[in-house]
Amino acid sequence: MNRASLHFLLAALVAAALPLFMRSGTLASEVLIFAMAAAACNLLLGYTGLLSFGQGIFFGLGSYAVGLTLLHTSLPLSLALALSTLAGAVAATGVGWLSIRRQGVYFVMLTLAFSQFFYFLAYTFKDVTGGDNGLLNIPRPAIGPFTLGNSWSYYTFVAVLFLFVFAALQRVASSTFGRTLLAVRDNEERARAIGFPVRLFKITAFAVSGAVTGLAGALHALLIGVAPLSSIEYHMSESILIMTIIGGTGNLFASVLGAGFYVIVSDLLSSIWPRWLLLLGGLLVVVALFMQKGLWGLLERLVEALRSGRKSPVEAPVRPESEGRGI
Amino acid sequence: MSTQVPILAAENLGVRYGSFVALSEVTLSIRPNTIHSVIGPNGAGKTTLFHALTGRVRASSGRIFLNGRDITHVSDDKRVPLGIARSFQVTSLFQNLSVRENLRLAAQGRTPLRALAPWRGVDPRGSALAVADEVMERLELTHVSERAAGELSHGQQRRLEVGMAVAAKPRLILLDEPTSGMGIDDVEAMKALIRDLGRDHTVLFIEHNMGIVMNISDTVTVMRAGRVLVEGPPALVRDDPEVRRAYLGNMITGDIA
Repeated sequence: MNRASLHFLLAALVAAALPLFMRSGTLASEVLIFAMAAAACNLLLGYTGLLSFGQGIFFGLGSYAVGLTLLHTSLPLSLALALSTLAGAVAATGVGWLSIRRQGVYFVMLTLAFSQFFYFLAYTFKDVTGGDNGLLNIPRPAIGPFTLGNSWSYYTFVAVLFLFVFAALQRVASSTFGRTLLAVRDNEERARAIGFPVRLFKITAFAVSGAVTGLAGALHALLIGVAPLSSIEYHMSESILIMTIIGGTGNLFASVLGAGFYVIVSDLLSSIWPRWLLLLGGLLVVVALFMQKGLWGLLERLVEALRSGRKSPVEAPVRPESEGRGI
Repeated sequence: MSTQVPILAAENLGVRYGSFVALSEVTLSIRPNTIHSVIGPNGAGKTTLFHALTGRVRASSGRIFLNGRDITHVSDDKRVPLGIARSFQVTSLFQNLSVRENLRLAAQGRTPLRALAPWRGVDPRGSALAVADEVMERLELTHVSERAAGELSHGQQRRLEVGMAVAAKPRLILLDEPTSGMGIDDVEAMKALIRDLGRDHTVLFIEHNMGIVMNISDTVTVMRAGRVLVEGPPALVRDDPEVRRAYLGNMITGDIA
């Protein structure tokens, strides 16, 4: 079995196993929704080497798009989701088009600036977005013959979409396009010298990432029945990035691990200690310092240790990988 | 031959970095199917000339023609499909990707927009892979095809560097100091390779090793301080008093063989 099918199998296992281990269908759905957002972020960070703080924009716009469509029109759910995906893709194309004019720190600052810009836009146009209160009472209509009112039936719907999106992202990552992105990440100047219009490739990566993030945002709004202002806040971009980094940027399944870990651990910690974010910060420090391949890297080492029959060398020094390079 | 349209021509080409003049009034004409070398002391503007010809830096003045077509304002990536490819003085590979993938990408660079479709896989029987295999064979890199480029020895990396230009199947191939940092045996192999490349491509190369330059070039251009000093066949250039003066005490980086 090749790596891609193994990772897809693992993703399917996660989707199948979550209902067995979790009491709340809402939380389980949240895991898969953020897994999509993190995998989309990984396409930019891990494959293209772009550290984007704009992911929250696409997530938030997806939330608003599905909410506005369902509240103000009689379009079916499938079309509302398609519109959210489109909204994410269009916004990402625009943000990407302008941001990638600069590299490194200035690129990051531009995405950050756009993130603030869209937040205040959403905050200002209260009539459309509900402002501080968010867009309330978003219905969750049936899709074809399937009603999604129950939290586990909604989870099933999300899981199917998740697997579809995951397979699609895998396809993108292994295509000539995805392999060119890896080349851009590795050596942008050479990529240009051998003939690739690097900017066009980066913008396309943004568009794909934005589309998936928009869909994730829409599914999240349907999950909680609200498109909250917090969905488009800077903090959302940050959370998605943290999930991606904690999981590891080497492959797409790592993002599923990262999202699952983040969502479940924050849920556990927040019920015991209101200052739980402090612990999460500490964890991020550990990942940045000692395990740059993230949870996936840890898992790889565990499997390797089990195979060779030795005890896991948890303290083993991490080989200098290229993970942290090239923002 | 002299009535033939030059494959590449520069007219009064100039490049300024701020107030520093790196290249000034360079007029150059490369005849098709020749091996043309550019020599000169360090800082003479040789690499800047390459940068300008490949579009890496914008010309501040003058014009560049490829087969009679004005390409002065064509961006660097768009010059590759037109038939120009280059190697770099400082090795610039995709360090984390395999040798084969490096060359496949370089071959794909001729039709870059075909790689833009996110759903299209890499065709295992596709032409880009076939070219990659062919170039590996030619450069004797087949046995390391699956190794990451960053793990190769220096000599292998330099060969791959040249291979990246070859894989684009260009009409004109620009090599920037292909032998830099190489051991003696590797230098001989590179010399044979450049001569061999001259059979199916026009080759323009920068070189400090006079043994190679004088042996395999049809034409030699000598540069100094951003200008063309002398141009002509190797024998003429070697005996030129101006060249001898320019090199005295300056030519530390190569041996005059």
